Amino acid sequence: MNLAAAQPSALAPAAAAAPVMLRLTDIEKVYQTKTIETVALNRVNLTIGQGEFVSIMGPSGCGKSTLLSIIGLLDEPTSGTVEIEGRPVTSYSDKELARLRNEKIGFVFQSYHLINDLSVLDNVELPLLYRAGVSGKERRRLALAALDKVGLSARTGHFPSQLSGGQRQRVAIARALAGGPELILADEPTGNLDSVMGEEIMDLLLTLNRAEGVTIIMVTHDEHQALKTERVIRFFDGSQVQ
Amino acid sequence: MLRHIFRLIWNRKRANLLLLSEILFSFIVLFGVGTLLFTFGQNYLLPRGFAHQNVWRLNISAAQGEKMPRPVLDDVLRQVRALPGVLDISLGSPNTPFRFLTMNSEFRHGNRKSDITDRYDADDRYLTTLGLTLREGRWFQARDDANPRRPAVITQNLREALFAPGEPVLGQLIQPADQGFQATGQEEYQVVGVVENVRPGSDFSGPQSGMWLRLVPYDTTHWEGAAVLVKVAPGQGPALQQRIVRTIAGVTRQWSTEVRTLEADRLDKLRVTLAPLAALAVVGIFLIVNVALGLFGVLWYNISQRRAEIGLRRAMGATGRGIGHQFLLETMVLTTLAVAAGLLLTVQFPLLGAFGGPPRVYGMAMLLATGVVFLITAVCAWQPSRLAARIQPAAALREE
Repeated sequence: MNLAAAQPSALAPAAAAAPVMLRLTDIEKVYQTKTIETVALNRVNLTIGQGEFVSIMGPSGCGKSTLLSIIGLLDEPTSGTVEIEGRPVTSYSDKELARLRNEKIGFVFQSYHLINDLSVLDNVELPLLYRAGVSGKERRRLALAALDKVGLSARTGHFPSQLSGGQRQRVAIARALAGGPELILADEPTGNLDSVMGEEIMDLLLTLNRAEGVTIIMVTHDEHQALKTERVIRFFDGSQVQ
Repeated sequence: MLRHIFRLIWNRKRANLLLLSEILFSFIVLFGVGTLLFTFGQNYLLPRGFAHQNVWRLNISAAQGEKMPRPVLDDVLRQVRALPGVLDISLGSPNTPFRFLTMNSEFRHGNRKSDITDRYDADDRYLTTLGLTLREGRWFQARDDANPRRPAVITQNLREALFAPGEPVLGQLIQPADQGFQATGQEEYQVVGVVENVRPGSDFSGPQSGMWLRLVPYDTTHWEGAAVLVKVAPGQGPALQQRIVRTIAGVTRQWSTEVRTLEADRLDKLRVTLAPLAALAVVGIFLIVNVALGLFGVLWYNISQRRAEIGLRRAMGATGRGIGHQFLLETMVLTTLAVAAGLLLTVQFPLLGAFGGPPRVYGMAMLLATGVVFLITAVCAWQPSRLAARIQPAAALREE
């Protein structure tokens, strides 16, 4: 199925009383230097249901990206607990966290973070490279399927520098999808794109959420995009205000 | 993962060219140093081919304008030989072992031509005085007086150069390689014996082709100096040296004598040989350290340029240790490629017989260079790889 071509409006919204995908309890993140202490997140409590599409908004420096890093298990909170599917992951080892990131979470970044020296197909294969027991053939099949979903099957041999911004973000979404994650974390996915491209990417994410039931947490500055999601969480100075 | 790394290296071939060149350069330098080291080591272990211990060199010089009449020279030799502690004495050319003095030529037998060959004059006692070892035939004898051609004793390696394996050598004639030797009045030499190879250069020099020509008791009235080798009993020292000088002065006050041990000559030669070797070793070490620092810098820079990629890989499921291993593996793959190129170049030396070095020495130098290059790159890549492993993914992803 080519999600890029599908109409999001034709798809059913996620169930309201979905099981919990993610729970954050009393999360604090403090950056400490010799002379200064900066509170990035202050007692954040958040629950995200499976299949939800949530957007996080707030001014620059309010802690949105820090929160996304903690949810994505790329950073540790100073205090508080993170639970994924009911399991607290705070005490997990580096290896266990890496496996969880690989199997459960897909990342989409504002600046795409594609490896310029790898082809589109190789970029999309990347998360599967770190998954045990996936053969080269299977990696290729899954990557091609993911590229097909974002409508870039014809660009497998291209390099990122040969693509437009919107196409690069599609590749990044295909890479996030290739491992079959339950949760996609998108950090300002339309931030580097013009409005038309931004709409395209937003439609793609909405379709993914509705058609495949993928939970999506998106950080955005764009009120218009945020309103398309099921829930908007607002932050100010490290605290959740709504 | 290995295929992924190969693909990454191939796609980054321009960026990796500098690193590959550095590793290749260090391989070539190490191969050169290794070849020298193994050549010197192999030479050092070879037999010297003569016994220089307890052999002294007398340089007897006539006073300015004076010559050396044969009867006086014979008397000098007779009286020195008679001294207690002197075991043997012989007359030869001044190019004794370890001296910075050579006489050499090229020789020919039939269609075969020798390399540059050391040429010595020697009397009938020279073999025992210097302790040369006969392989075939004999040394010079009084009966050679009747030989119309000048008798010669050659080293085994000169024999191999001028004669086919198994070809009889005794009685054969050797000519100077100069085509017009007869026109220029040069002689032909008749081989009467073959001795084991000799290494008269230094402790680290290899066997040198050599030929001794019989010093026939011609008229010596035109001589202004004579080189004499004296074999003494073990334990003899300055007292005997002074007695020899006094004895010669007792025969004629017109001559002066310098006595020096071959061991002293050997040490002098060793010092002169070791000086450039030490300089070469210092330059080699300096180059290797530079290459190591360069590698370290390039790898460090490489990692700092790839922080976002590291953050991304961590996000995709790589562990910190996995990132470290990946960078180490990348360096090792690059090293393997550079070493393969280096081996391809250096294997030409034994294949083409360049510089006449034995293939075994080149092989050992290649092994040494391979081992040291892998060690250096692994050590240089270790710390940057650890650094890569410790990069915080969240911070790295925010940087771009």
